Amino acid sequence: MAVAALEKESAEMASAANPHKPAVSIKGLDVTFGGGEGAVTALSGISVDIPQGSLVTMLGPSGCGKSTLLRAIADLVPASAGEIAVLGRTPEQARKERNFSFVFQDSTLLPWRSAIDNVRLPLEVGGGGKAHAEPEALLELVGLKGREKALPAELSGGMRQRVSIARALVTKPKILLMDEPFGALDEITRDKLNEELLRIWQETGTTVMFVTHSIPEAAFLGQYVLVLASHPGRVKEFMPIDLPYPRKLKLRDTIEFVRITAHLRQLLEEC
Amino acid sequence: MADATVQTVARAPRQPSRRWPAIEDKLPSIIAAIGLVALWQLIVWGFSVPTYMAPGPLDVINAFHENAATLWNNFWPTLFEAALGFVFGNLVAILLAILFVYSGTAERAFYPIAVFINTIPIIAVAPILVLIFGNGYLPKVIIAALICFFPTLVNMVRGLKAVQPATLELMRVLSASGSEVFWKVRIQSSLPFLFAALKIASTTCVIGAIVAEWIGSNYGLGALIIEATYNFRSPLLYATVFVAALLAVSLFVIVSVAEKKLIRWKSQEVH
Repeated sequence: MAVAALEKESAEMASAANPHKPAVSIKGLDVTFGGGEGAVTALSGISVDIPQGSLVTMLGPSGCGKSTLLRAIADLVPASAGEIAVLGRTPEQARKERNFSFVFQDSTLLPWRSAIDNVRLPLEVGGGGKAHAEPEALLELVGLKGREKALPAELSGGMRQRVSIARALVTKPKILLMDEPFGALDEITRDKLNEELLRIWQETGTTVMFVTHSIPEAAFLGQYVLVLASHPGRVKEFMPIDLPYPRKLKLRDTIEFVRITAHLRQLLEEC
Repeated sequence: MADATVQTVARAPRQPSRRWPAIEDKLPSIIAAIGLVALWQLIVWGFSVPTYMAPGPLDVINAFHENAATLWNNFWPTLFEAALGFVFGNLVAILLAILFVYSGTAERAFYPIAVFINTIPIIAVAPILVLIFGNGYLPKVIIAALICFFPTLVNMVRGLKAVQPATLELMRVLSASGSEVFWKVRIQSSLPFLFAALKIASTTCVIGAIVAEWIGSNYGLGALIIEATYNFRSPLLYATVFVAALLAVSLFVIVSVAEKKLIRWKSQEVH
């Protein structure tokens, strides 16, 4: 019931925004670390539009700057040149208005707070934001009903990452930025959370940008896969994945899926 | 990096409660203690050790009975000095640690001085302070404070800095203010480190007060130890030492109980 309410509200939120305007629009983005001769160009001339409500996975060899791109959108890394517009605003404005949430590879839960109190954290700091969902309903959404009082140390790695996803959703973000959130989990847990992420994405209508280094994960989740090449990080291809949702795990055994992953692997080898 | 939370945090193991778990666990140490006291009495009797050289347990118990008022009257000043020294020494250390964490300049300026002060033997500082501040409570409180100061400073600085970079990034994405990061993250993460230091300080502050009383005082357990030694009142000397130990143990227990009440989670980095 709580989930249904969430779904309805986010549907209203989505229709209120201009559907033609991209959620994230990047034009000629450069990110350089350091200065002088030791400067390292992490990203060079990135231009891409992320449609509203889409699920975009970002794939590339390590060192291609996919995490850096996500961090630049999240205002964690400054742009050296070019523009990033998050719902038409600068990353800093978008951060202060709580337009996006960030899920880290490590769950980054505060170990002294129970699951439910960790989910409440975003409402207690930084002004709390305007909109918020019920923390209890979110823990139910991520399948942790009954574990509200548990401390992070009492939860498994997968459960901790579920809590951190619930925490990211508590501010009802229009955009969810996820930096290899399931990278540290075992494959079985990872598969399960992949399916659940798709369900949550469809229930909430949030735009999701998902960094991964796993080809099957990128293809299974993504409406689009943004393939990045390295040295310096640049866009290789922005590829739509023409597979219908809802997607189930067995989709990965179909010939269409294998064709897509083969193509992605081919692209990565050229990087 | 992958599973950092698992490494830093572990729940304290809880034994399932048996019928008399407390007594059963402590039985070996109780038997050992009674055995040693009995052995002590047997040696004193067997070798006819003169009382002024080493009194037996029965002599000491007798001394407790005869000098109850003297012990009681000298107990309070020492408790007062130790407790006040504990509070001030730790308070200054905590405030200085906070300053160090927020100002690298202050840390570079004062940390070497703090290390230098720590290397001076407390027994050498005591006469200097007695010369400056006279025979009253003040030099004793200062010495008790001084002995608490350093371990707390070092641990508190470590604790305040023991915040994972990803947690600070999370707080930035949430647009948390500096004071929110301090109160909701840094202070909480420092508590296990702080209490590790406070447990050390709870016993050393008693040592500080007693050493200070040796140098120049007419009251307190330290003065009583000196007086009893010079007058060959060995049973009283032993009784005084027991009272001093009892005082230190009581303070330790108080700090341990406070720790258990305040910290439900355990940080393994402390050990």
